[in-house]
Amino acid sequence: MFPDHRRDLYLPLLGAAVLFGALVGGGLLYQIAVGGSAERLVTAMLIDAIMVLGLQIYVGNTGVLSFGHMGFGAIAGYTFAIFAVGSDRKVGAPFGLESVVVSPAVATGIAVVVTLAAAVAIGIGLARSGAKSGAVAATVITLALLFVTHEVARNWIALTGGERAGLSFGIGEKLSSRLPVYLALFAALVVARLYSRSRSGQLAVAAREDNLAARAMGINPLVQQMAALLVSVVVVAVAASLRVFEFGTILPDLFFFDYTLLTLVMLIVGGRNSVSGAVLGVAVITVGRELARRTGSDGFEIFGVGLDGAPLDWVFREGLPTVFLGLAMLGFMIWRPVGILDDWEVDSWLHRRLHRSADARPEPLPELAAPTPVTLTAQGIDVRFGGFQALSDAGLVANSGEVVGIIGPNGAGKTTFVNVITGLVEPTGGTFRIGDADLTAAPTHELARAGLVRTFQNLRLFGALTVQANVETVSLVAREHRPGRDRVDPDALIADVGLWDHRDRRARELDYGNSRRLELARAAALAPAFLLLDEPTSGMSDSESLDMVEQVRRVAATVGAGVIVIDHDLNFITGISDRIYVFDQGRVIAEGTPAEVQANPLVKAAYLGSAAID
Amino acid sequence: MIELLQNLIDGLGRGSIYALLALGVAVIFGVMHLLNFAHGELITVSGYAGYAAFQAGWSWYLVAPLVVVVSIVTSLVIERLAFSRVRGASDFTLLLTSFGIHFLVSAIFLMYVSASVKSFPRPGWVANTYSIGPLTVEVFDTVVIGVTIVTLAVTVAILQKTMFGLALRAAAADFDAARLMGVRSDSVIRGAFALSGFLAGIAAIFWLMRAGNTTPTAGSDPMLKGVLAALIGGLGSLRGAVLGGLALGLAEVLLRSQLPASVAELTEGVVFVLIALLFIFRPQGLITVAHAERV
Repeated sequence: MFPDHRRDLYLPLLGAAVLFGALVGGGLLYQIAVGGSAERLVTAMLIDAIMVLGLQIYVGNTGVLSFGHMGFGAIAGYTFAIFAVGSDRKVGAPFGLESVVVSPAVATGIAVVVTLAAAVAIGIGLARSGAKSGAVAATVITLALLFVTHEVARNWIALTGGERAGLSFGIGEKLSSRLPVYLALFAALVVARLYSRSRSGQLAVAAREDNLAARAMGINPLVQQMAALLVSVVVVAVAASLRVFEFGTILPDLFFFDYTLLTLVMLIVGGRNSVSGAVLGVAVITVGRELARRTGSDGFEIFGVGLDGAPLDWVFREGLPTVFLGLAMLGFMIWRPVGILDDWEVDSWLHRRLHRSADARPEPLPELAAPTPVTLTAQGIDVRFGGFQALSDAGLVANSGEVVGIIGPNGAGKTTFVNVITGLVEPTGGTFRIGDADLTAAPTHELARAGLVRTFQNLRLFGALTVQANVETVSLVAREHRPGRDRVDPDALIADVGLWDHRDRRARELDYGNSRRLELARAAALAPAFLLLDEPTSGMSDSESLDMVEQVRRVAATVGAGVIVIDHDLNFITGISDRIYVFDQGRVIAEGTPAEVQANPLVKAAYLGSAAID
Repeated sequence: MIELLQNLIDGLGRGSIYALLALGVAVIFGVMHLLNFAHGELITVSGYAGYAAFQAGWSWYLVAPLVVVVSIVTSLVIERLAFSRVRGASDFTLLLTSFGIHFLVSAIFLMYVSASVKSFPRPGWVANTYSIGPLTVEVFDTVVIGVTIVTLAVTVAILQKTMFGLALRAAAADFDAARLMGVRSDSVIRGAFALSGFLAGIAAIFWLMRAGNTTPTAGSDPMLKGVLAALIGGLGSLRGAVLGGLALGLAEVLLRSQLPASVAELTEGVVFVLIALLFIFRPQGLITVAHAERV
């Protein structure tokens, strides 16, 4: 995205500096205004900010809601405490831990390592279940982690001190300087920004926007989610250690539902999709909650309940902040689920203000050197859904450089066939290969990496990303997984399909025709051997369709790809294709040049009814 | 053998309540794709209504129907105030909306009612037992299992014989298709919330009878059990939810009796581990509901 590699570090540092200055500066000002009593509140806010940044790295970039991050927090917090508190405070601890006491910094390091190990185990579980049933299962597994750690913390009293004693630091052993908090906060900001701008971060965001489309573009979402999880728990482990150190005691409830609610609300209110949003949310919620707490303590009246001026029952002090959090969460979910800032980042914004670049419109793409010719072969494909034979002995051969059409009436099996060769449906029989590689029943992202990339009939763009980011993300995949192919310049591709003036707009804001063009450009950015277009002109007028035909031909020629087009419009297919396969009732009933196919009586029958034969 | 039978009966009694809760969760998931973390709040609200009625001198025979009615009304009010505004939103938004309601309701009760436990009388027969041969059976378990069977029969009748039931099942199978076929999404969703409230109300009666008290967070535990049981059964599958509830109840009772005493306290934790493992190896739950993604 930024050819100048120094920018890769410069922007995260700029962002971290601005956000750090704002949060710490605001906190110090408040301390001066209120006095010493505010000190712990501000320290807690800064530690919360580190925790929320850790949460943002996973939840923001992957879009998977994790209830379990406080489970990781508990693992880290207890690990930190068991290693850092004095021997007299953990008498009888198992594994000889009673006599082990290390410095808080070393204990934090151990906490990070232990939490990472837990995250690897959980991450593998998440990947297994997420592959099959998506985000809800992941949320449940993380919730299970939260409960299991809580149960263990409550009941394994020898190790954790249980619910009554917990693990405590002695008087004067608690965190006494704010320096470690400052250092950790700045580091967390830099890490969060570096990750969201990294290759893994961008691929994870693409998968967040549309999991299926990401896989069809060669991205393996599970790998990126795992990467995000590991980076995330490192930050969480540091935050949890600091929280325990600052608090002085760890009890099972320190990292349970209440803290889950608090940190999630902070993340969501500011905007989970950006680091700036996470920080803003921490500030807004800390202020709001403090106001609610004071209101609860000083007295007020609602519905005739409450006392004037006199301190209220303690339940008001406890209850009102929670009501505030619950209302904040509900309100944002209902009226602005993306939070205040959505995906706005302060460093990117400053950068754009300071360097108004007028990127020159790129030169038209030169035709790439033709790739080594390769043949795509599907043979004897059978698909059976229960008792219904959707495909029987269907097959197709396509060579790079040619345009192959697939046509057939509705229900002929075209879509099922496409789903088989793109890895979405596992065939009950038959083989599929590209060149020499047997790809029968390979997962979708591997098929894409092998050179077959598709567009979607019902448009699956990465909606929140800009036009440019849509193409560039896929170009990142191409760089790694399409070796031996010249890299297609994403800017030139965008210009080539006529979207240059729209390159900074979000994909979901594009009109229908432009969305289709973006799908084409995005697919081409993978430098595929074959472009598979699923009804590329559906919903277009005749003249738009003609333009599309031209664009498809040009883009395919530029990247040197063969084209497979599916449609039910006979005129469109005969106009664009070199060879045509006709599907009917799950079989290939005819194959040949457009002229041959049009003359075939079986085809006439399929399209016009059997009477046409007579 | 005797011990196993004994455990089976205990487990079925416990599992019946879970099944009612899980079915309510599954019905909502079917029409809205919402995993309802606020389901337990129906028990919190109706529990306090029941407590107020006891204060006014009502008996259990009057309190029980009141609990059901309050549960239904609460379910509809929550739908109206919150869920109707996030219809069709992402899983993320839906989950957090219900999570927010869960916290909001308990905090409101904490503030406006009391943080302390509110106790009320349990009916005299709750603790009674009777013997069948060597087995000791709680009257309470018998009543729970019996009422659950009747409630499920009524629910099945509603689902099978009424237009609403047909619409609801169609919507659970494929919401968009059902809408195109003329099913009115508004009335189906409201009906689903009413049905879910009804089932939670029945469960609430037993939950409160067993506990004999209510607190602002009384809904957390039943919510969790209902959600987990629905997940075990396979989200969206109504039959699966009932099976999941029974399986969860049996698992809890059997684990508690079979685990060595030192770990028996960890039963809840072990159950969570088992559920997590189930999700890792069979994430679609016990009963598979096909969720074809259109491409």
